[in-house]
Formats: sequence, C-alpha cells, structure tokens
Amino acid sequence: MNLKPLKDALIIAELKSIPDLKRNPSMVLLVGVISSFPLFYVLVFGGNISYGLVGAMVATISFIGLVAAIQDISFDRYVKIREMIVAMPVNPVSYSVGLALGPLLISAPGLVFFIGLSVALGALPILSIGWAVAMLILCWAACSSIGFIVSTYFRNASVYTLGNIGNILGLGLVFIPPVYYPEEVLGRMRWLSMVFPTSNVAGLIRYYAGTLPLTMEMVLIRWLILVATVAVSIIIVSFKAKWRET
Amino acid sequence: MMNMEAVKAEGLSKTYRGKEPVEALKGVSLSINKGELFTLLGLNGAGKTTFLKILSTQLAPTRGAAYVMGYDVMAQASEVKNHIAVVPQDVQTYSNFTPWEYCYYFSLLRGMSKQETKDAAEKALRAVELWELRNRICLSLSGGEKKRAIIAMVLASGVDVLLLDEPTSGLDALARRKVWAVLRELVEKGATILLTTHIMEEAEMLSDRLAIIDKGTVVAKGTLDEIKGLAKEKFRVVVEGNHHDLNLEANSHTKFGNKQIVYVADEDAALKLVGTALKKGLKAEAARITLEDLFVRLVGRGEEA
Repeated sequence: MNLKPLKDALIIAELKSIPDLKRNPSMVLLVGVISSFPLFYVLVFGGNISYGLVGAMVATISFIGLVAAIQDISFDRYVKIREMIVAMPVNPVSYSVGLALGPLLISAPGLVFFIGLSVALGALPILSIGWAVAMLILCWAACSSIGFIVSTYFRNASVYTLGNIGNILGLGLVFIPPVYYPEEVLGRMRWLSMVFPTSNVAGLIRYYAGTLPLTMEMVLIRWLILVATVAVSIIIVSFKAKWRET
Repeated sequence: MMNMEAVKAEGLSKTYRGKEPVEALKGVSLSINKGELFTLLGLNGAGKTTFLKILSTQLAPTRGAAYVMGYDVMAQASEVKNHIAVVPQDVQTYSNFTPWEYCYYFSLLRGMSKQETKDAAEKALRAVELWELRNRICLSLSGGEKKRAIIAMVLASGVDVLLLDEPTSGLDALARRKVWAVLRELVEKGATILLTTHIMEEAEMLSDRLAIIDKGTVVAKGTLDEIKGLAKEKFRVVVEGNHHDLNLEANSHTKFGNKQIVYVADEDAALKLVGTALKKGLKAEAARITLEDLFVRLVGRGEEA
C-alpha cells in the first residue's frame, strides 16, 4: 500500500503549523479568544452557557478551517511556494489535506479547552465527547473544503481579496446561523440551521449533550445532510485539485 | 531521445486563451545535455517562464512535446517530478521559516528518510554558506540569504535537473556572485541546470550553452562564442565626445548622451577607429562585442538609439 500521499499530507500539515506554533504561540490564544468572545455576552446579558460553549467549540474549528484553507492556498500562490510544490512528487489532494490539517493542529488546544470546560460545567456528558469530536471533524472537513472551493474559483483574486472573502465567509458561517444561540429562535425558519454545516453540527452536539430534543428521524436527516455536505465538498475539491494549468 | 539529453523540447507552442489570445511560445525546439548549464535569455514576456512552466509540469503546451530525463512532461509527469526542482521567478520565503526548515520539510516531501533529509539539508546549507544562519527565521535574513535558502532547498532535494527562473533577480552583485559560484559548482558535480535570466553578465559567466528567445521564438542558440559569431561586427569601440567628427554609418552605433558604442567588423577596424578618435581629442576604448551587444541587435526591434 502506498502511504506516501498520507505521509505527504502529514508533512505539509506539520510545516504549515509547527513553525508557526513555535514562533508565534499566541495564535493558539487568539483562536480561542475569538471563539470565546460571544461567551462574554452570554455571561453578561444572560443566556445558556452550554449553548455558548458548543458555539465556541464549533467556531474554533470551523472558522480557522475555512479561513486558513483560503488564505494558505492564496498565500502559497502569492509567494510561489505552490509552484515549487507542483514540481515535486506530491499529490494535489495530499497538499489540500495537509493545508487543512495544519490549522486543525493550531486549533486543537482551544478545542480541548472548550470540550474540557463543557464537561466540567456539565454542558457535555463525558459519554458524548466521542460524538462531539466526530461531528467537529466533519465540520472541519466541510469548512476546509468550502475554503478550497472558494480559493479555486477565485484563482485570479489577490491574496488580500481572498483573505477578506475568507474572513467574511468564516464570520458569516459562525456568527449568523444558530451556532452560539438556540435554533429555536428561528421559529419556522429553523430548518435553516441544517443547511449550514456549522449550525447543523452545533445542533447535533446539543442533541447528544441532551440540551436539544430532536426526533430520531430529524437526527438521521441532520446526519445525512452533514455527511452529504462533506462528501460533495470533498468530491468537488478532489475534482478541482489539479496541478497542471491549461 | 538520446541518453546525453537531460531536457528536450520539440516544437513547443503555448497560446494562452482569453479575449485576446497570447501566443507565448511558437514552436520552440531545444535540447539540453546532462551536466550542462543552459541559459535561456530573453526580454520580459519573451516566453522564458512559460517554457520553464511546461517543463516543470505546471502548464500544458498547446502543441509540441517536451521531455525531461527521457520522460514526457505530459504523459509521465510523476516521473519527471522525481528528477526536477524549480525555483520560480520572484519566489518569496515564508517569513517565519528558517533555512533549515526549508531544506528539511521540502526534502521530506521528496520521500527521503529523516536521516537522509538531515544530511542533505546540512550539505546544501553548507554549500550556499548558510549553515551558520540555518536557525534564523527568513524575516531576519537579507534578500540574498533568502534566495540562497531557496536554492539550498532545491539542492537538498538531490535531483538531476534544476529549473531556475531568474534566480538572482533583485540581488546585489556580491550576493549574485555567491549564487553563481554555487550553481557552477553544482554543474561540475553533474547537475543539469536550465536558467532563465535577462542579466547578460550572468549568461556570459555561467552558461555552457545558451539560447536567445524573443516573442516565443528561439532566435539564436549555441555556445557563447557561437552566438557571438552570429554578429557581423565582432568589435565595439566606446567613444566619448562629439562622434559627428568620426563620420559613422547610421546603423553601426548606439548613442547614450555624449557616449556611443560603435560596432566594427574586426580588431583592425576597431584600432583604426580608436586612433582616429584619439587624434580628434575624443576618448575611445576598443573591446570584443559583448553578449548584450548582440542581444540588443537581435531583439532590439530598432529601439536602440
């Protein structure tokens, strides 16, 4: 079995995260702080802290997943490192997966902190940690893939434009749908929460944490939508991930 | 394809599609021998980078074929990639990477073991005189040091063919010469290098053979002497002062203010012109024509003075 593509993805993940973490460890703090800002409002103005913590978990992984996917690809194009990698025996899918895994390593400490805090405050039962982690990984995969699709379709946009698009999209996916707040607020539009991978995952984590009552059919539908979102995004990325230009 | 050839292009053409299609390469045929430093010389937009991008499997040609170490760049891209390393034009560094990390990570991606990678990285960094600075982040390195870090990275990869797109652009004279020394040493050790540049001195100092490309077409190729042999006028005389007194033919000189370069057929004509100029109280100096003289005459399109 050829393990080189997997090994390459891990090397790219390491080179995209470890030097940054070594020289700029405050970025871990930054990722955590951005995600925990809404918690401040929940605490000050009243609200369910367990909702806020689930939101922080989802935001930690999805915001950086999406933004980093867009910014890393556009930056690599800008500094022409991508051209050097294209000429190496590296599969484009390994490159994409590596780029997505790098930010995951950077967001991991924040994620562990929020999961730990949720467990400590009784917002997430220990038995539900596995479900939460599985869904967060799917959310990361979906958001990273969306990032890659955006950077592929805006191939000719400048690194600055793509950076702005990434931030707007990331903030939009995290703060507009019901990630930090209960989806019940949406009333008849509640189905919208299933459309976005971020709010869909937040809803499912709340279900497994026992704070959001859902029928079995609804859980199944949410899972199907989540898996389908990830699958379709990955298929598009794999299809578009080609080194050679025509 | 013969064994001696590291790179071969046959009738390579590339047209960039768009509202106004651009024909960047028009049937370029070239071959580069193993262990040779070959320079592709041309103006900006002449087609040099397009040629390199096709060879490095980044870009598909519109017509024609290209081979690297006997492998077709279109049909056997994976094999080609095992033999090449590229330094793109205007490449920049990750600012918080060290030269060591460049060599280490990018050699690992070549499939080397960690120990092989460490050995190759040390060797490459010593070769480009960056060993002492190996743990400094690129943000704190000079432009020349950053460029050498990138070159060390491709050296560490241990490949046979290096494709370098204007690797010394933006470097000062000292930094450029350090890079030249490294490149020549690599060639002496058996590497094949295809270099693009528009720095004439670089082409003259480094090349075993070179080609001049203009508007996507190769207009001259061969050794430096062969290329210079294409010129009718083999000597140049730089005259400082009022050249009207010299009664020069209109096409044989290039003027910059009160200085002019006069091209003459041979050494005797050059010495005669120097003598005449000196008698008229002008300053004059004779020499063989340079590559730049020939280049300007081949691709100048009548823009020279």
